[in-house]
Amino acid sequence: MKITILNGDNKSNGNFTGYISELSKILATENTIEVFDLNKMNLKFCTGCWSCWWKTPGECAMKDDAGIIFRSVINSDLLIFASPLTAGFTSSELKKITDRLIVLIHPYIEVRNDEFHHKKRYDKYPEIAVIVEKNSDTDDEDLEIISDIYKRLAINFHSSLKFFKTTDDDGVKEISLAITSTKTQKTQKV
Amino acid sequence: MSLAIINGSPRGLKSNSELLMRNFIEGYCNIIPRIPEQLFLAKASDLAGIPDKIKTSQNIIVIFPLYTDCMPGIVMQFFEDAYESGILNSKNVGFIVQSGFPESKHSVFVERYLEKLCRRLNCNYLGTVIKAGVEGIRIQPPSMTKKLFAAFSLLGEEFAKTGEFDRTIKDQLMGRYEFTGATIGLLKIISKTGAFNMYWNKKLKENNAFKLRNSNPYSEFRN
Ligand SMILES: Cc1cc2nc3c(=O)[nH]c(=O)nc-3n(C[C@H](O)[C@H](O)[C@H](O)COP(=O)(O)O)c2cc1C
Repeated sequence: MKITILNGDNKSNGNFTGYISELSKILATENTIEVFDLNKMNLKFCTGCWSCWWKTPGECAMKDDAGIIFRSVINSDLLIFASPLTAGFTSSELKKITDRLIVLIHPYIEVRNDEFHHKKRYDKYPEIAVIVEKNSDTDDEDLEIISDIYKRLAINFHSSLKFFKTTDDDGVKEISLAITSTKTQKTQKV
Repeated sequence: MSLAIINGSPRGLKSNSELLMRNFIEGYCNIIPRIPEQLFLAKASDLAGIPDKIKTSQNIIVIFPLYTDCMPGIVMQFFEDAYESGILNSKNVGFIVQSGFPESKHSVFVERYLEKLCRRLNCNYLGTVIKAGVEGIRIQPPSMTKKLFAAFSLLGEEFAKTGEFDRTIKDQLMGRYEFTGATIGLLKIISKTGAFNMYWNKKLKENNAFKLRNSNPYSEFRN
């Protein structure tokens, strides 16, 4: 299975980045993994220009490193949003690229789950998973808020939230198991 | 009263957020004839001045567009900075979240985050005004936006009087939480006719991009 990990750690080579690189090593034995350390890349904030929807459909106007991320994400089976928590949410570094993922969906509107959403641009979208590192002030309410927001994102993204894990509760082994089970479920579905 | 407005739209001066706040400010100035400053997170020249402006204002309103079911990245960066510096501590802080889709349901998830953020930063939470269905207001004729702008003007006026978001106007702006029953059936039918795509088709055609509307440049062959 192909997995893309978007690592939103703001600190270069912090503990969290160490965790993610350890996880990706384990996963790489059986999967194709691409990890993007976002803070080491040249990435700009979305400016809301809608070029990707009505000027150059499907392509972002910004000239930076985001193209390789878009390609990796849309061709993956699993997309992992990974980040330490600050101010009660995943990092702005991660939110920066998340905003720009709208390049992968279509402007056209449909009523889905009895709500307004955008249509697909691609036939297939990856499953979504989230891995966060708690901050000293993180509580269960924070985790619930964050996981609910990612569930909403998953709907918009024609996907579903496979798991939401914290590095404190789950070591790399547990997480790699959770990922393997994503794969098993997939195989069963087929 | 001292008020600073933080505009978190990535579109900056040319945003729906600015247009809504222009009306809010107009109403506010009917009561307090001193224009509150509006600072733009998307304007590099405004960024440096934000801490000072916040220091001298007891009331802060942060307005932003819903981006992928949450705040835009630049707004999250602002929250991270506020968390680090403690600059919002003990201030009265209110939010306005406006969005594209017509139901306000899309914004209630980030609202929970905003309320918690205020508890986390020890600021006095003034609430979150939610307004859905805002994309397009910059090109709509005045007849279509009159009611909305009047409501924002009144929201500003009441804010100047009380330092709070007026409950009735807030509820009015919140509008429909979600579509249900027969309406949803009807919307599904309309959605199949493509009627909701008129705005996008117009823009695609204006940009000579209509033929390319379904392109998927990042897909790779897979088995
Ligand atoms: C990157 C991006 C993501 C968006 N995500 C959502 C969304 O999840 N839900 C929604 O209802 N509208 C969404 N919108 C629409 C904006 O919230 C809406 O167009 C808003 O009025 C823009 O305000 P502004 O001009 O002040 O930036 C999104 C727009 C952009 C550019």
